[in-house]
Amino acid sequence: MTTVSTRDTGRELRRIVHINEEIKSVVATAFKINLMAMNAIFLAKRAGQTALGFGVLSNELRRFATDLQKQMSQLREMTYGSVATVTALVKQARLSGVLDRTRRESDGLSRQLIEELMRTRHNQAYARHREQIATLKRRLGQMIADTAQLVELGSLLARSAKIEAAYGGSYSAALMQVSSDFERTIGEIQRSLESLTKQQEDPS
Amino acid sequence: MKTARVIFEAGSHKWIALVRDPNRPEYLIDTNEYLVVDGDDAILLDPGGSEIFPAVFSALSAEFDPRKIDKLFASHQDPDIISSLSLWREFNPRIKCYVSWLWTSFVPHFGGDQETFVALPDGGADIMVGSQRLQAVPAHYLHSSGNFNLYDPKARILFSGDIGAALLPPDETSLFVEDFDRHIRHAEGFHRRWMGSDKAKRDWCARVSQLDIDMLCPQHGAIYRGEQVKRFIDWFAQLEVGVVKA
Repeated sequence: MTTVSTRDTGRELRRIVHINEEIKSVVATAFKINLMAMNAIFLAKRAGQTALGFGVLSNELRRFATDLQKQMSQLREMTYGSVATVTALVKQARLSGVLDRTRRESDGLSRQLIEELMRTRHNQAYARHREQIATLKRRLGQMIADTAQLVELGSLLARSAKIEAAYGGSYSAALMQVSSDFERTIGEIQRSLESLTKQQEDPS
Repeated sequence: MKTARVIFEAGSHKWIALVRDPNRPEYLIDTNEYLVVDGDDAILLDPGGSEIFPAVFSALSAEFDPRKIDKLFASHQDPDIISSLSLWREFNPRIKCYVSWLWTSFVPHFGGDQETFVALPDGGADIMVGSQRLQAVPAHYLHSSGNFNLYDPKARILFSGDIGAALLPPDETSLFVEDFDRHIRHAEGFHRRWMGSDKAKRDWCARVSQLDIDMLCPQHGAIYRGEQVKRFIDWFAQLEVGVVKA
């Protein structure tokens, strides 16, 4: 007789909590990039003609930060949906556990009834919840992959900004410092996304 | 597993007490469940918490087909009373749960939907079981603010929920009260602390004194019979309640 494991469902909940924490960290970093980009735009304006390219890239980095925030907000909505599904699964697991105990304590008609119930409605409901979770996991995985592509673009912009900084004349050192900060901060996001991807792939 | 004991039988009308599970973990309060059967129809009174569902279900199945249970009566909203609701619904999704109107939006946290609950008005209501009319008798504030007992005029049994409850030591396993004076010591602290209103208590004593009661069946502890019923009501009437310390 198949029973729903509360260990499995507990693991799913812990996984979602971990994903949410990573999302929070990326959102905070994206907010930081937005502020950094605003400062970079002002700096480029002060640097004038020699930092025109740097200014354009800073604008792009600001747009990148906004897009990233939107993307993370969608990811968060998706994980909220996962919490509802996993909660239903936890409830199902609990019911399943009690029914299994009832089956073990029963004999005759009552045992027959419990077995029938577990075979039909109960296990079907469990399978349905598992399928919902698998679908959510696939969608979440796809969205994380899309976000990773977006962040790759951000990383490219940061590297280009670094090159542009070299042509910044007397502002070169300051622009270099700002572009290095961009690169480091976007690197933090990449590490968070790698951790998210690992969470998605790791079944343990 | 609990034991199913028939405490009243007249033709197809029966009261079955589901009591005393020797395997119950100590951290769970012991509870009594009662099944009132009339022909093919039945109502389960205070079906219990989800933790003790296996013990209740197994004992009940020995006496009655659990698929035929389509009515539950919840004296109030506590988890030891009705948290097994979602499990009973697994067997009969159309099962009805009679409970005070006060709790119809609280108890669904244990399971059920808007079709599940039959709201009992404060003044009480009749509940048909087979051809027998049972009466939901108000017992508000004893201890819950929306609280009912269930009276069966045919069996002359009053299911009194937490009223009359006693927290018995593990070695006192008798189904019926044997020695009132000794028994009531185990009920005193519980009633002083849990019963919150002296006025409600006096109203209840006056109300149930009008009923013809052979057995008073609480949700915890032993059943009062015959003269013990009146003794209990008199004892309760004079007890100071709503106090933290005696």
